[in-house]
Amino acid sequence: MNPGNAIEMHNLTKVFKSRDRNSGTLSYIFSRKEREMVTAINHLDLEVRRGELFGLLGPNGAGKTTLVKMLCTLLPPDEGNALVNGFDVTSQQMDVRKSIGALFSVGERGAFWRLSGYNNLEFFSAIYNVPRNKRHERIMDVLDLVGLKDKAFDRYQRYSGGMKRKLALARVLLPDTPILLLDEPTVGLDVISSRTLREFIKNDLSRKAGKTVLYTTHYVEEASQICDRVGILNKGRLVACDTPDAIRGIVKKGEVVEIRVQSITDAQVKAMKIMNGVVDLISEVEDSVVDQRLLRLHLESIDLLPMVLDFLFKEKIRLIDLKREEPTLEDAFIELTGAGMGR
Amino acid sequence: MRLQEIEKIFYFIKRDMTSFSTYKTNMILMVLGALFGALSYAFLGSNASMQSVLQMYHISFKDYLIIGMAFSTYIGQALTLVQATATPWQLEEVLVSPTSLGTFIIGSSAWGFIWSTVVVVIYLAVGSLAFGVMLSVNLIGTILVLGLGISTLVGFSMIGAGILIVVKQGDPVTWLMGILTSVFGNVLFPPQVMPYQLQVISYFVPQYYFFTCIRLMMIGRSIQAVLPDLLTLALMCAIILPLGYFIYSRCLRTARKNGTLSWF
Repeated sequence: MNPGNAIEMHNLTKVFKSRDRNSGTLSYIFSRKEREMVTAINHLDLEVRRGELFGLLGPNGAGKTTLVKMLCTLLPPDEGNALVNGFDVTSQQMDVRKSIGALFSVGERGAFWRLSGYNNLEFFSAIYNVPRNKRHERIMDVLDLVGLKDKAFDRYQRYSGGMKRKLALARVLLPDTPILLLDEPTVGLDVISSRTLREFIKNDLSRKAGKTVLYTTHYVEEASQICDRVGILNKGRLVACDTPDAIRGIVKKGEVVEIRVQSITDAQVKAMKIMNGVVDLISEVEDSVVDQRLLRLHLESIDLLPMVLDFLFKEKIRLIDLKREEPTLEDAFIELTGAGMGR
Repeated sequence: MRLQEIEKIFYFIKRDMTSFSTYKTNMILMVLGALFGALSYAFLGSNASMQSVLQMYHISFKDYLIIGMAFSTYIGQALTLVQATATPWQLEEVLVSPTSLGTFIIGSSAWGFIWSTVVVVIYLAVGSLAFGVMLSVNLIGTILVLGLGISTLVGFSMIGAGILIVVKQGDPVTWLMGILTSVFGNVLFPPQVMPYQLQVISYFVPQYYFFTCIRLMMIGRSIQAVLPDLLTLALMCAIILPLGYFIYSRCLRTARKNGTLSWF
């Protein structure tokens, strides 16, 4: 394993038997009927560097949760292997578990509702081998980190959804492991709680504490905002893996410029359309009273923009506004996965 | 009540009945449970039970019943303890932490046994002080019998939990052991009062040996006096406990491999 990597996967594969509505019955289990096989993770090779905030992006059913479960030893791979902090997820499970903190998308289910937040963490600190003489200090530290210190002794059942999610994250932080596997940590949170949590993960966990974070999400904007690198998973395969900017570049075919103008004639629009290097031009009337139009100009290169501006100047067309349109990570995501967005 | 409201109640019943009928195994087990319950209460009230108790233990039927009921709390606890820890989210939590499955099972059930001990002490104290139950406890023998009895039933509990993890609903093993305890387990009446064909079943039920031994330990008999029954219980324990652990581990591994651990 490359010492610069916190996580490595080689040819990792997971195949499930398909299930139907009778899958829980004994007759189904013992039946000899052939069941369809579904490949959840398909020969995946991926490296996550130490200290990196890596976003794993994919539509529902892409295999994100399956991958996280394999990395935290809950699911054995069918083929290939994965190393977490240098330990094999199949043969060195206990060492892997000591190296990770794992938060699942339904992380609050593991909490005990009639205990206080503090008592919940006290139990989990024992489970996660936090030394007894440091437990209280560590619990108060993580409660402070996630902003629940003043609610530490309230019963968990009285916590709001956002507070429950924060306590789930506090639980993951208890053992102070170098690697965090966060599976859709903002699911179910309101916009403000979600942003606070994202900033906390980026600033406190990744930048200040230097932890390696594998962050799965199907919210494209989340990954775009906080991740150093992003991997796009589709049907168990990694279809792209790079910085958000580089992935945006994958789908960048030419330049799109939006120009808002006044007093342009149809003939002038036609003349612009046949200019060298203009791939397409869509003209849309925005305000007929003041004769304002929006021109969406698709150019072969941004270097052709002066030629367009020169034309507008010569034709005495009034320029109101000009905006260069960049492809978003969302565009790349749709193009690469062919999927609808989970925003 | 307006017709519209009655119609709503009808749809509540239809909803619950339809939902209930989808759990066919559970429905059959409940009906059979009621039949076996009736059978055990029929034997409980018979004169033959009282005479048999006097002959076997030289104690009154009331003493027999109080000691049996007291220790049946341990049996109930032992039979369900692994299932209680088999909730998928709790299993997932422990399987991603540096904690062994054995520690998790023992830790999860420890409080249940502590509370069962409190209940047993209350039963025996009330029985002794208010109802004159004559107790002369052989402490070492009691601990030994308790250890063997509980361990054996934990083995069955692991088999039941393993099946539950794989099939996701219904646990015929725990149900069967519950029925065997009430009818053939020597809790409410001695199996000797039943027809011979039914008595034979008792000799294959570990609860029978547990309750026979524990009653004799509670009235001060020596370990030697119950040695054949105690050895039979120990043999059952030596087979069932590792078998239960093996089946539980295999079922857990199967559910992990299939990715169905969190399905319930």
